Amino acid sequence: MKRAIEFRLNGQAVHVEARGGQTLLELLRQELGLNGVKEGCGAGECGACTVIVDGQALTSCIFPALEVEGASVTTIEGLAAPDGTLHPVQEAFVRNGAVQCGFCTPGQILSAKALLDLNPHPSEEQIRTALEGNLCRCTGYQQIIEAVKAAAEDQP
Amino acid sequence: MSLPSQVGLSLARRGGLERVTGACLFGVDLAQPGDLHLFALRAGSGPARIQRLDLAAARAYPGVVAVFTAADIPGINRVGIIAKVKDQPILAEGQTRYPGDAVALIAAESLTAARAAARLARLELEPLPAVSDPRQALLPGAPKVGEAGNLLWEARVRKGDPDGALARAAVVVTNTYTTSKAEHAAIEPEGGRAWWQDGLVVVRASTQNPHHDRHDLARLLGLPEEGVRVIQAETGGGFGGKLDLGLQGFLALAAWHLKRPVVMTYTREESLAATAKRHGLVMEYTSAADEQGRLLLCQAEIFGDSGVYASYGPAVCVRAAVHASGPYRVPHVEAHSRLVYTNNAWCGAMRGFGVPQVALAHEGQMDELAQRLGLDPLEMRIINALRPGDETATGQRLGRSAGLVQCLEALRPHYGQWRREAARSEGQYLRGVGLGAMFYGIGNTAMSNPASARLEMDAEGRLCLFTGAAELGQGSDTVLCQIAAETLGWPAQDVRLVRGDTARTLNAGATSASRQTFISGNAVQLAAQGLRGLLLEQAAALLGAPPQDIALDHGGARAAGKGLPLADLLRGLQERGVVVQAVGDYDPPTTPLDPASGQGVPYPTYAFAAQAALVEVDADSGLTRVPQVAAAHDVGRAMNPRAVEAQIKGGVVMGLGYALMEEYTPRCSNLHQYHIPTIADAPRIVPIIVESDDEAGPFGAKGVGEPALIPTAPAVAGGLAQALGRRLFDQPFSLERIMAALMEGRKTERQKDEAGS
Repeated sequence: MKRAIEFRLNGQAVHVEARGGQTLLELLRQELGLNGVKEGCGAGECGACTVIVDGQALTSCIFPALEVEGASVTTIEGLAAPDGTLHPVQEAFVRNGAVQCGFCTPGQILSAKALLDLNPHPSEEQIRTALEGNLCRCTGYQQIIEAVKAAAEDQP
Repeated sequence: MSLPSQVGLSLARRGGLERVTGACLFGVDLAQPGDLHLFALRAGSGPARIQRLDLAAARAYPGVVAVFTAADIPGINRVGIIAKVKDQPILAEGQTRYPGDAVALIAAESLTAARAAARLARLELEPLPAVSDPRQALLPGAPKVGEAGNLLWEARVRKGDPDGALARAAVVVTNTYTTSKAEHAAIEPEGGRAWWQDGLVVVRASTQNPHHDRHDLARLLGLPEEGVRVIQAETGGGFGGKLDLGLQGFLALAAWHLKRPVVMTYTREESLAATAKRHGLVMEYTSAADEQGRLLLCQAEIFGDSGVYASYGPAVCVRAAVHASGPYRVPHVEAHSRLVYTNNAWCGAMRGFGVPQVALAHEGQMDELAQRLGLDPLEMRIINALRPGDETATGQRLGRSAGLVQCLEALRPHYGQWRREAARSEGQYLRGVGLGAMFYGIGNTAMSNPASARLEMDAEGRLCLFTGAAELGQGSDTVLCQIAAETLGWPAQDVRLVRGDTARTLNAGATSASRQTFISGNAVQLAAQGLRGLLLEQAAALLGAPPQDIALDHGGARAAGKGLPLADLLRGLQERGVVVQAVGDYDPPTTPLDPASGQGVPYPTYAFAAQAALVEVDADSGLTRVPQVAAAHDVGRAMNPRAVEAQIKGGVVMGLGYALMEEYTPRCSNLHQYHIPTIADAPRIVPIIVESDDEAGPFGAKGVGEPALIPTAPAVAGGLAQALGRRLFDQPFSLERIMAALMEGRKTERQKDEAGS
């Protein structure tokens, strides 16, 4: 049933017991106390639970916890520098008014970061494609597109 | 030293930083180790009589601490946001009305245990006769759903001489429009935590209305209101869906019985199955105009299904009638609106309270009349737009803040350009440009709906605003602080905020009806003026100058060349034992509506708006895109222009979803069946702020939350009608309906060809 697994979480090595059938979302929220990863639908539809696993943004609510063995996982808590300096994408979301209720925001930011890590200067179409799995009911998305563009411009 | 004006400034939203770092805890994030987890056992079918509910095995399941039924509710097991029709039991009493009703509440050491125990409950239901068609619900002998009959509410507006007007009209258009039930689909589902502390039940949950929650929870538990404290958790969107009280009732009941902390979160499935929807309405309209295109008449028969409970239905029913003739001068009006109980999913408030529905009808009628008269739809609307000083359908005389003509004129360049582009389109893509216009009364309809606010200043000059106004993401925290800051001459960023806590803040009423900027904004401004009065009085004494000659801001007071630092001013007040605080109370001036004619003053003011949408249909596949929308909104005065634009853009995309895809049915178990727009669907939106300086608004402001959404679906409908060559009367304009219209168009063309050959 339970198995000890080891992976890197926000740059730190983590040893934890995971259960078969447990989702990565459950592991992160319930066992590791990371509440920045949100559950909006539990079915991989809304993207609020997005985290980055080995460079890939994915929905942790349908991702088996046991499969992060040996992987590198980034959650919203791992984005800002230890001194609190925001990641450029976080900064751009605040500055461009891309945050309203904020519940989808961690997932949006992580999808955007995964995109920019692979493709530092994406077109608007590429931004729309990369964030298509992240639903937002407040903003109308335009400010999110602007924030991702602004973060891209801030990059070397 | 002197500050720029703190209103009209696009300050970043308060709480933005916590939201980008993941530090912000929402209602669903509050679980602590050791908390009990709650799970509601839902009927799964209904209406039905509960023949047997055997919970022994569930109670005996390891980890289960308690299982509650309706018999465990010590007070009145009826909740509801409208005082006259509190009709919703939180746990079923002997019968279920529909499948979403809860029959038992399980509290266990883990959610897994609570769910497993629920599966062991033995529930035997005997089906009762159901009524799902609202027309049949009114027939004699129909199964009784409402406790006092199936007609939930009825409203009328009658003005002028409708029959006479019909006889004089040059053009008359009659159509029937229908709308779907829609789901709020806030990305945060309902969630919260409750505990017992110092003899109080404390509930911290996502909500749009903490003080109303306290009232209904106290009633449910048979406690005085002081026995319950409600704190608004950070709330991940509401849109009307978090005005009703379901989850909070479960939390309070369990915490009161068990005296232990409890948490509960609805799954998305549960949120879809067991919470309110937007009302689907059937709207039969007859509209008439004279040869110049001036509207003469609007007759509207509005009929809708409330489902099993009333929720905000009465407010929707009345608001639909009051807004039925749209933002136009119409001398003769007859609107009749009814809502009926059925055994369907219940409906309540959703962004717009019935106005998004009637806007589809009144705007469809405008387009059809314009077409019959050979007028451009934009000119038709400008001819008829309500202007300052005009009279509405309820006989209310508008003040100076009625900027619909400016909104329509602001659309003209976009509208004209897109029209020219659409006219040139050929081949596979069919294009059209549509318009939607609306007005929306700010605040609750024809009733007292006050807000209070309190401001306090400490010995160091730190200003703190205490408000009960729930922040849902729309930005009231930011805007209310800006209003306080501007009134006092303080920097808005320095204002501290305590919000949405019945133990610490005064009642601000619901965050709904686009009312908080206007109503709480006025209360905050009054509180700030009161506090300013205290400071000025002290300054006058110390400076020896009359208060009206004193300049005062966060730096201190000055008069006749003499300055007084703020610290000295506050020390003086402290020495006199004066607490530097003030309360502001504001209730918008309204009058009740005459029951027979609907005449009266239902709102203190109205927001106005017009939007234009470019619509593109792939003639082969029926796939429809809305690449561009221009949205002009008369908000009175924008307190925070970027926040206003954010409301407009978010409203447009929600309106686009309503137009093209959103339709709730009981089969919609998750977001792959209930579709909402994604970033790929989002148009390029040009937000246009029109300012008209409302006489009664704080610094001239009105409201924008709901108006943002209302014109979008009508504009899309108009664009589609042009692209397809025929109007769709049934919303949503889904792929199936658009394909059917395309096929119909081809059939008509073939018939024409055959007839010609």
